[in-house]
Amino acid sequence: DIVDIKPANMEELTEVITAAEFHPHHCNVFVYSSSKGTIRLCDMRSSALCDRHSKFFEEPEDPSSRSFFSEIISSISDVKFSHSGRYMMTRDYLSVKVWDLNMENRPVETYQVHEYLRSKLCSLYENDCIFDKFECCWNGSDSAIMTGSYNNFFRMFDRNTRRDITLEASRESSKPRAILKPRKVCTGGKRKKDEISVDSLDFNKKILHTAWHPVENIIAVAATNNLYIFQDKIN
Amino acid sequence: MLGRGLKRKLSDYEENMAGLSSAFDSSRNLPYPLKRQLVLNMCLTKLQTYKMLVEPNLHRSVLIANTVRQIQEEMRQESNQQPINVCPGIAPSNPSYTGMESSGISLQLPSGISQQESSCCDLRSVEDPIENSLLIVSDDDMSSAISSILKDLDFVEDISPPTCLVPTGDDQPKFAENTSLKLEDDRQDLKGAECVFGSFEISNSTSYLKDLAIDDIFEDIDTSMYDSDFCCPPLMPSRPPSLATEEPLKTFPSCNSSSASNIQICRTDLSELDHIMEILVGS
Repeated sequence: DIVDIKPANMEELTEVITAAEFHPHHCNVFVYSSSKGTIRLCDMRSSALCDRHSKFFEEPEDPSSRSFFSEIISSISDVKFSHSGRYMMTRDYLSVKVWDLNMENRPVETYQVHEYLRSKLCSLYENDCIFDKFECCWNGSDSAIMTGSYNNFFRMFDRNTRRDITLEASRESSKPRAILKPRKVCTGGKRKKDEISVDSLDFNKKILHTAWHPVENIIAVAATNNLYIFQDKIN
Repeated sequence: MLGRGLKRKLSDYEENMAGLSSAFDSSRNLPYPLKRQLVLNMCLTKLQTYKMLVEPNLHRSVLIANTVRQIQEEMRQESNQQPINVCPGIAPSNPSYTGMESSGISLQLPSGISQQESSCCDLRSVEDPIENSLLIVSDDDMSSAISSILKDLDFVEDISPPTCLVPTGDDQPKFAENTSLKLEDDRQDLKGAECVFGSFEISNSTSYLKDLAIDDIFEDIDTSMYDSDFCCPPLMPSRPPSLATEEPLKTFPSCNSSSASNIQICRTDLSELDHIMEILVGS
């Protein structure tokens, strides 16, 4: 079984596969994402050469937010099925989207991870950060999702309450048994105390990999040289 | 607690680029064509850098190439709406520049931004460092030199008005943006991308590279300015696949010294081409 999107002429290559995952319950079904922000669901039973998708997921572009970097930031860096198998989640540069497998034309939920970076895209392109591949993960009950950001921040979103929180994985704030303090990035105007301005973010400290225990509320967060294990108390 | 951000140590080049991209992000006053040119320059620089990596990143290369194509397409559509400028002697009222494709590098000059005198050269008089930096690749002599190279290498095929390309030290750009060069654009766009991805698939036959005696072309070019600190996207004359006759370019009769110095910057690309040729010929 193979998916090959290589064109006959390499010069016509405009899209690459960026992530893929098998369905948790239907072992013949898998999805793969592309650098153009699309997801294809394939069923290996229909043919060995899975060049025809069963489903094609793509959200129409918002013309008002179009920029030179629109395609780059739409590139999907990770795709993960929910434990239930009914949803899947995709991570692009600025957001996380939850898709209902039965609805192909748009996601059912969109969460902004660090929208304040949208006005910094050129700088992030210059230093290559715009190509960073963040992962995302579900909690055991599919009620919450988590993904990483810069400055050793990671974000969690509660799908039911729509609350979100930003936490930091760093030595200073992670004494054993200490409760993580919510962080906030100041996006404009006066910076409040304890807020961090966008320009002070350290883009070398990026959290690309996070994992959530399939049953317990325990998370693992990888930050450059260190792996942090936290007990999540949100739920 | 506060101000965790660490400042990276930047080289001069990186500082320039970081400064430009910060200006892009923060400035609302940068005219759109300048922004676009800046992005294009960054793309080309990145593509050039990636080509030299031992393990080039296909994902990034594809994304950047797509961005380049998108910008080129936009510029082409804009220039299509401009009146076509004819030969030297007639100062064009709308100076427009062609986009010309080099192997893996596309040198796009600002499309007709201004109407009257503010041509590319006049922008030099602007003290704004941003615009001056952009003019590194918006050199009038450079554009004339490119036109000369293209003409001499006989790339222009099947055209009805002949190219009227004259290198000039004047301020007004005098070469024509004509349909023939646009035709070349379309063909050479793909070639630029091919050269970007060529390293991923060496089996792609690029026989046209074997046919030219590249070393002969640039043998007598003075390379004393090779160690310039500027980061200019190197210039490379393109080679359409259908080039049947290989006439090694013997001289650049129409190039003055300043354009010659710009041309010789492409020696780095020549050695790369040599390397690619070795791989191809060896296979």
